Amino acid sequence: MSRATSFRFQAGNSFFHRLDPITRLVWVLGVSLLAFGAYIAWLQIVLALAVLATALLLARIPLRDVLRGTWLFGVACISFCLIQTFTLPGHRIAFRILGHPIYAESADYALASALRIYTIILSSLIFVRTTDPRELAIGLVTQAHMPYRIAYALFIALRIVPTIEEEIRTIRAAQAVRGVGRARGIGGRFAEARRYAIPLLVGSLRRASTMVMSMEARAFGAYPTRSFVDQPHMRPSGIAVCAVMLLLVVVWYTALGLGYVHTVYIVSPT
Amino acid sequence: MEGALAQDAALVELDDVSYAYEGETEPVLRSVSLRVWPGEFILILGPSGCGKSTLLHLLNGTIPHTLKGTLTGEARVCGKRVVDTKVASFATDVGTVFQDPEGQIVNIRVRDEVCFGLENLRRPREEILARCGESLSQVGLEEFGDRSVFDLSGGQKQRVSIAAVLAASPRLLVLDEPTANLDPQGMAEIFAVLHRLNRESGTTVVTVEHRVDELADRVSRVIMMEGGRIVFDGPPREAFSRRRGARRSAEGHGHDTRAGDAGVGGTRDADADVVPPSAWFPQASELALAIDDASQADPVRDVPLNVREAIAHARTRLGTGSTAVPPVASRARPPGRPLLSVRGLRYGYERSRPILHGIDLDLSSGGIVALCGRNGSGKTTFARLITRINQPPRGAIWLEERDVAGMEARDVALSIGYVFQNPDHQFVTDQVWDEVAYGLRVRDYADEAVRERVDEILGITDLLVYRDRSPFSLSLGERRRLSVATMLVLEPRLLLLDEPTIGQDHERAQELMGLMVRLRERYDTTVLMITHDVRLVAEWADRAVVIGDGHKLFDGAPIDMFADEALMDAAGLLAPPVFSISAALAHDCPDAGITPTLSLPALAHAVATARCAREEALP
Repeated sequence: MSRATSFRFQAGNSFFHRLDPITRLVWVLGVSLLAFGAYIAWLQIVLALAVLATALLLARIPLRDVLRGTWLFGVACISFCLIQTFTLPGHRIAFRILGHPIYAESADYALASALRIYTIILSSLIFVRTTDPRELAIGLVTQAHMPYRIAYALFIALRIVPTIEEEIRTIRAAQAVRGVGRARGIGGRFAEARRYAIPLLVGSLRRASTMVMSMEARAFGAYPTRSFVDQPHMRPSGIAVCAVMLLLVVVWYTALGLGYVHTVYIVSPT
Repeated sequence: MEGALAQDAALVELDDVSYAYEGETEPVLRSVSLRVWPGEFILILGPSGCGKSTLLHLLNGTIPHTLKGTLTGEARVCGKRVVDTKVASFATDVGTVFQDPEGQIVNIRVRDEVCFGLENLRRPREEILARCGESLSQVGLEEFGDRSVFDLSGGQKQRVSIAAVLAASPRLLVLDEPTANLDPQGMAEIFAVLHRLNRESGTTVVTVEHRVDELADRVSRVIMMEGGRIVFDGPPREAFSRRRGARRSAEGHGHDTRAGDAGVGGTRDADADVVPPSAWFPQASELALAIDDASQADPVRDVPLNVREAIAHARTRLGTGSTAVPPVASRARPPGRPLLSVRGLRYGYERSRPILHGIDLDLSSGGIVALCGRNGSGKTTFARLITRINQPPRGAIWLEERDVAGMEARDVALSIGYVFQNPDHQFVTDQVWDEVAYGLRVRDYADEAVRERVDEILGITDLLVYRDRSPFSLSLGERRRLSVATMLVLEPRLLLLDEPTIGQDHERAQELMGLMVRLRERYDTTVLMITHDVRLVAEWADRAVVIGDGHKLFDGAPIDMFADEALMDAAGLLAPPVFSISAALAHDCPDAGITPTLSLPALAHAVATARCAREEALP
C-alpha cells in the first residue's frame, strides 16, 4: 500500500462535482486560454487566486491536497521565475541583488510566466479530482457525440494511470533490493528506464490483455452504439459556468486584440 | 437452429479439440473432448502450463477470435460453433471471471461495473438497473452500488467481477483461479457465492482453482489436465481417492461424462489409478488415504471431501493400525543467533493514517517464519521497512545490531533478500546467468568468485541448463526459482518471500519450500514468508506472526495460532483441515492419545494407534 496520488478522481458532492463533465472541460479550457493570453503579473495573480478559490470553495479540495498535488510544480515554477528574473533583459532597474540589476519588465514577465504554468496545473488538478473518467467518457459520447470506442479508450487510459504508477513503484522497489540504485545523469536515467521498461511492458501487456478480454466478454464493441444508465446533462449551473467562461475568454481576447490590457503592470513602468 | 439450445442439452461440446497459440508449433490443448451439462459445478486441476486457462479461453470464444492460433476439432458452446461466433455474442451465454480483479474491472464505481455489459448490449435503463440490483444481491453486495472499487477488499472486488458477468444472466460461469490473490476469508466468500449460484440459481460453473480444501465438497465433477490433455474426468470422490504419482504417459481421454454417474469418467489406461503429482488435493482426502495406509485397511471407497467427513472416517479407523513410532520428527529448533530486532515500529505513508502501530519482533537465524494477516493489514509495508525499500524511523529496526535507518538499501540487501510476488519485477538483465551474477557484480566481486558462486546457485536451483536464456522466456515456476537464486547468490541471512505459492501447482510449491529448507540447513538462513496459504504455514513454518490493522496480534507456534479462533477470525484466516480434524478428534475422544497437530502423517499414525476402540469413539 502506498501514498495515494492527489491527481486522481475522488467522489464528492461539491459544486464542481455536481457539474457535468463537459462543463468542467469547458471551464478548464477557458482557464487555460485566459492564462495563455495574459503576459502581465497582476492578471495572472488574479487568475491564480480565482482558481485556488475554486479549488478550495467550489471543488472542496483540502488545502493540504492542493499543496501535495502541486508542490513539485510550485518549486519548478519558482525556479523558473527566478531564472527568468535574473536573466531576461529590461529597461527599468527595479532593484539590485548583490549588485546584479533586476529589471521591472523581466520580474513582471517571469512572475506571469510562472503563475501561468501553476494556474494551468491547478485547474487540471481540479478537473481530475472532480471528474470520474468514465463520466467524462460518457459525456464525450452523449454530449459531444464522440464514438464510444474512442471515448472509452480515453477513459481506460486515464483509469490505468494510477495502476501504472503503482507498477513503476513496485518495480523500483523490487530492483532496489537487487542493489540497483536510483540513477543519476542522463545516461543513468536512460539505463534505469531500460531496466524498468521490460517488466513494465510485460506487466502492462498482461493487464491490457486481461482488460480487453474482460470487455469483449461483456459485449463491448458488439454494436455501433451502446446505452448508458447515467447520462450527464448540462444543468442551468453548467450553462452559466460555460457562458461566463465564454464571455471572459471573448472579452479578454478582444481587449487583448484592441490593446486595452497590457498597460497596467506591477513592477514594470507605467 | 444455432443458439436455440434445449434446456438439458450440453452447454459445452468439445470433440477432439487441439489448439496451438499463434506462432507456436506445440499445441497447448491436445485432442480434448468434453461435455459440460447444465447445473454442473466443475473444478479443473492441473500443473501450471497444462492448458487449463487455455481451455477456459475457448469456452467464451476468446480463442480463436482474440487469441489467434490454430484450432482443430469441433467446439460448440451453448449451441454456437465457437469458430463462427464472436466473443461479444457469447456475453449472454458465458460469464468469464479472471484471476486478477484489478485487471478485469473496467469502471471505478461498483454499479457502473455491473451495468457495463448490459449497456454494451443496448438494454433499456430500467432492465439494466433491475438486473444490476439482482446481481449485486446474488453476490451479497446489495449496499455497495455507489462504492468505489478502490475502496473494496480483494474478495469484494472479485464478487463485483462475478456480479458484472451475472448481470447478463449467463448460463455458464467460467472462472480462472478467482481466489489466487485473496486472503482465506475472501476466498471463502467467493466459494460461498459460487456454491449458492450453482445450487439456488442453477448456474453452471467451471472453475480452475488450486485451493481445493474449501471447494472439493461443493463441486460435482473434477477434471484433471496434464500436457494439454484431460487425464481424469469424474466425480470428486473418485478424483481424490487416487494416488498422486508420475504417470507413465501423459496420454488420456476426455469423456462425455454426466457427473455423479457411477462408474462413468476417469481414465482407463495404464495410469488409471494415479493422478498428476502437481495436483492439489483436499487435505481431508489426503488424510483419509494416509490413515488407511497407517492402519493397513482397505482404502476407503467414499473418500472424505471435507473436515466433517474426514472426522467421521477417522473415527472408523481409530486403533486399527500398528503401534510403530510416529514418522514425524519434532519441528522445534533451538534458537539461533539474533538477527533482526524490531522495536516499537510505527509507520504510515501519511502521518494522519498510520499503517503500523508499534510492532515488536525478534528474528534469529535458521527459522522459517510465516507472516500472516488480511489483505491490507500492513504485512508488505513491514517487509518494505525491514528491507529499507521504505525509510524506517530511526532506532526501530536493528539488523545485527546496526540501525537499518542509517544503512544504504544496497547494504541491507547484502543481508536481507526479498523475493517479490511477481518475479518479473526483479529482473534487470537479458540472461539467466547475468541475472544471478548481477548482485555480485554491483558489489565488485572478482570475476572468478562471481563465476563460482553463480554456477553453484544455478545448480542448487536447477537452472543451470537455462543459463543463456532470457529470464522472461522461462515458465512461472522457473522465473520464481530464478528470482530466489538472485537473492541466494548474496547468501542473505534473511530471505523474505512474498506469497511463494500463488499460482504454483502442488509439486512446484513443494519444490520451492524444499529449497528453502535446504537453504536453512546449509546457510542457516532465516526465511520470512508473507502468505495467506494456511497449508503452507502448517506444513513448513516453525513460527507464525500475525499482523492485523497494523498491530502484532500473535507471535508463536503455528499450532497455537490455529487454536485461537478469535485470532483466526480477526486475521481473516481459516485453520487447515488437518488441525480442525485433529482438534475435533482430540476433543471427542480425549483418552485416545490424539492431540491437535499440523502434521498429516502424525495424525494418521495417531488415529491408527489410538488407545480407545473405535466403537467407543463412534457417536
